[in-house]
Amino acid sequence: MIDLLRLLCSLCMIVIFVSACQPAGNPKFEVVYSMEPSSGTDAAEPPVKSSDHPWTIGIVPKLVEIPYFNLVEQGALEAAESLGAQVIYKGPPIADTTQQIRIIQDFIQEHVDAIAVSAIDPEKLLPTLVQARQAGIKVITWDSDTYREGRDFFVNMVDNEKLGRHLMDTLAWNTGEKGKFAILTGQMKAATLNEWIKWMKVQQKTYYPDMELVEIAATDDDPGKAYEEAKRLLADHPHLAGIIGNSSVGPPAAAQAVKEAGLTGKVKVVGLSMPNSMAPYLQDGSAQVATLWSPKKLGYLTVVLAVQALKGNPPQDGMNVPNFGIVRVAGDVVVMGDPVDFTKENVNQYDF
Amino acid sequence: MISKLLQKLAFLRLRLSTKLMVTYILLTVVPMSILGYVSYWQYTKSIEEQIGEYMPRFLVQANANIKKHMDELSALPELLFNSESTVAILRRDVYQSRADLNRDQFEMNSFLTRTYLTSGNPDVIGVYLLSKNRVFESSKLSYSGLDWSRAFTYYGQDLKLRSNVKVILPRDIGLRFIDNVPYVMIMKQIEDVDNRKNLGMMFIAVRLNFISSVLRDLENSDQADMWLMTRQGQIIYHSNPAKIGMLDENISRYPILNGSFRTSSDEGQRLVSVNRSQELDWVLVHSVPLKKLTARTDFVRMATIFVFIGLVVVSIIMYSLFSQRVTRPLKRLNRLMKHVEMGKFNVDLKVESKDEIGALAGSFNSMVSTIRELIQKNYHIEIRQKEAELYALQSQINPHFMYNTLETISMAVEEDEKESVVEMVTLLGRMLRFSVNNKSKFVTIAEEVQHVRDYLTIQKFRFEDRLTFSIVNSLPPSAGETLYAAHFLLQPIVENAIKYGLEARKGVNIQITVSQEYSARTGKQDMVFRVRDNGPGITAERLEQLERTMREDAWAGKDASFGLSNVNARIGLLHGGDYGVQLHSIEGVGTEVSVRFPVLDAADVERIEKEGKQHEYNPDINR
Repeated sequence: MIDLLRLLCSLCMIVIFVSACQPAGNPKFEVVYSMEPSSGTDAAEPPVKSSDHPWTIGIVPKLVEIPYFNLVEQGALEAAESLGAQVIYKGPPIADTTQQIRIIQDFIQEHVDAIAVSAIDPEKLLPTLVQARQAGIKVITWDSDTYREGRDFFVNMVDNEKLGRHLMDTLAWNTGEKGKFAILTGQMKAATLNEWIKWMKVQQKTYYPDMELVEIAATDDDPGKAYEEAKRLLADHPHLAGIIGNSSVGPPAAAQAVKEAGLTGKVKVVGLSMPNSMAPYLQDGSAQVATLWSPKKLGYLTVVLAVQALKGNPPQDGMNVPNFGIVRVAGDVVVMGDPVDFTKENVNQYDF
Repeated sequence: MISKLLQKLAFLRLRLSTKLMVTYILLTVVPMSILGYVSYWQYTKSIEEQIGEYMPRFLVQANANIKKHMDELSALPELLFNSESTVAILRRDVYQSRADLNRDQFEMNSFLTRTYLTSGNPDVIGVYLLSKNRVFESSKLSYSGLDWSRAFTYYGQDLKLRSNVKVILPRDIGLRFIDNVPYVMIMKQIEDVDNRKNLGMMFIAVRLNFISSVLRDLENSDQADMWLMTRQGQIIYHSNPAKIGMLDENISRYPILNGSFRTSSDEGQRLVSVNRSQELDWVLVHSVPLKKLTARTDFVRMATIFVFIGLVVVSIIMYSLFSQRVTRPLKRLNRLMKHVEMGKFNVDLKVESKDEIGALAGSFNSMVSTIRELIQKNYHIEIRQKEAELYALQSQINPHFMYNTLETISMAVEEDEKESVVEMVTLLGRMLRFSVNNKSKFVTIAEEVQHVRDYLTIQKFRFEDRLTFSIVNSLPPSAGETLYAAHFLLQPIVENAIKYGLEARKGVNIQITVSQEYSARTGKQDMVFRVRDNGPGITAERLEQLERTMREDAWAGKDASFGLSNVNARIGLLHGGDYGVQLHSIEGVGTEVSVRFPVLDAADVERIEKEGKQHEYNPDINR
């Protein structure tokens, strides 16, 4: 019986030992499960150009040395700086399709990674752009579109219909919804400008039967020519109630002409132009409303989207662009935002 | 090694019951406990591994949730652009008068309150906007520790930040809300996207409720700790509020930041799962004591151990009872065998069971009883032999015969028949000498025949014509001297024949033949004495009775048949059951008694004598 007791005791000891013998005495940290990528390199970013060869983007405006396109250049350079891309901003001194084509040809020769164009004449430009695309270059249009087959996507500043109707509205407010008016457009063939004009006409026909479009004059984005055209319009149409400037050089030139003709307040001037160039005319009443978007923002967005597309992220609706906001995309058209109206009250807030 | 050997030897020396017990423990208890332990260990390990595997995945989810919240919060500054007037205020650089500035401030502050504090995200507890040396602010809770107007130096502009959000921890900014409400500060530069200019810096203080709700969704056990910290170990949020803002010094020692690991510290082992959010560079940690994970199994383990111990105890008791049942009879057997060794055969091993032990006990019992019987039998045989011998010796010259003979002699003397007297005395003397000299159990056949002839001759003197006899010896002449027979075989038979013959008839004729005959029973030549008389014969019943008496017990009584039985018995004892006396009788005609025994020469006699002597010298051998 004592043997039995002894056995029992030793048995209990064994059980206690076994149960007390938890896995102990291991190092303080023992990995149970790891979710770290097995080796850091293979899970890395998709093949990007090495930093010593940044993306090169050629940006072609309709022309250079006018405030609007200068501002676009500023925005583009800002984006290039923040993204580490190289931006070559080159445009013809006057809005000339042939020169624009030559600049694009040069870019193709230089093997830039992307070309962003504000098209003067979509038709003439098309073969060159197709050629660029065949050379493996991403082609983007901004400010002024070309045909779809000529580019990957179009960065539009505003919705065309909205802008066209809105420009018509701003004139109608100021003329009391009646009277004759003329449009000072940029180039007769510029697709985007013509689209706006189409919607102005639609808006006028729909809501303003008492108003009448008497003439569309082209300025070719030349301030001098625009001034001359504005004076001519005032002379040709003595009962003119208003002028809509359809491109940025138009409204200042028209306001200047109105002011000089002593028609301040009688002929209303509205249209697309920069607040800085319009501020004096808005203040003295020779122009009523200037409408525009931020050209800097347009330049910035164009470059950012170009770089994104080169990285393999074509623009998508709802995409958040740093220092810009949310991008709206409809098909292959990116819409930057809504137009801003500048009046004498708020014009000082803007520095472009 | 030596001690093991010793142990082994010690095991060999152990008692059987101990050996059985040790074997039982080795075969059942030890494997069972090892098996139980190993399976428990494996089970807890697999629980650990499972949790260690899925918890980091949950943490990834939680991190994603937190990131989502942070993204929402990061988008809050954009609300400023909803209002033209606030953008106008922010764009304004110069003021004509202090009143203008105050008006703008009032307008902006109320906008902030409206937009951020009284609507939208309820976790926002304060909004601060530094713009062009102006401070706009709105906060739900009173705070201390920071003078915003002096903060321009640090936070006024951060070109690197651009549109990115920076999260500032209370410790870094020094701002403390009343009651030490835990919060993080989201810092974002306000960009004028149209003018492409910096308008100022916005700070949004956010209560950490969103983190706690995310973490609560993940784990609501109060034993598990969860915390969120920066890569440097600064704790942003901790399920234990006291630890918010403190530093986790161990972070540099964590082996991984995406996964699970086990730590052991003074408070016991913990399973720690971590996940690092790349975007925010935050580390989310879930730490739970291993004990808690295995609490349920621990209960099962305790229960199992108790049941196991109980089973072991019960089974050991049963086993010891069982082994006792085996060993106790063995012990008793051992003791009883000692008794038997001492010569006490009166033992009985009582085992009721029908198993091998019972069979063993049965065998033992039957063995002992067989031995006992054998001894008794031997003992009896010996006594009988002695008795038979003694009787034979007694009967050789019995007093009755002496008396009758002496009477006959006396009568012959009276009648003066000298020759008869001389002959009778001579015969008597020879008979007496035969008896006296004869110490052996065996005599030669010649002597035996001579003796019976002497007897019959004496009786002839007495009964004269009433008795006639003849002795025919068909053996070769030399055989009478070289062959032997047990002594005193013929005389008892002849005595009987005379007695019964003369009782019933006037005269009796006795014929004795001595011959060798082939026996079918033994398959060889046997010696046969035949005594034939013409007496009354024996009735069939009597014959049967006699035969039975001879077969069964030669010593039943000293009745008339005793002589026959004695002869039969002595032959049987000396030569075995194949030999003995046979009776043939026809009532009214006569009786033939044949005595059959093996052919014995001197060597046979010597051998038989020796065996008999050995019997006598070693009487203990069979006892």
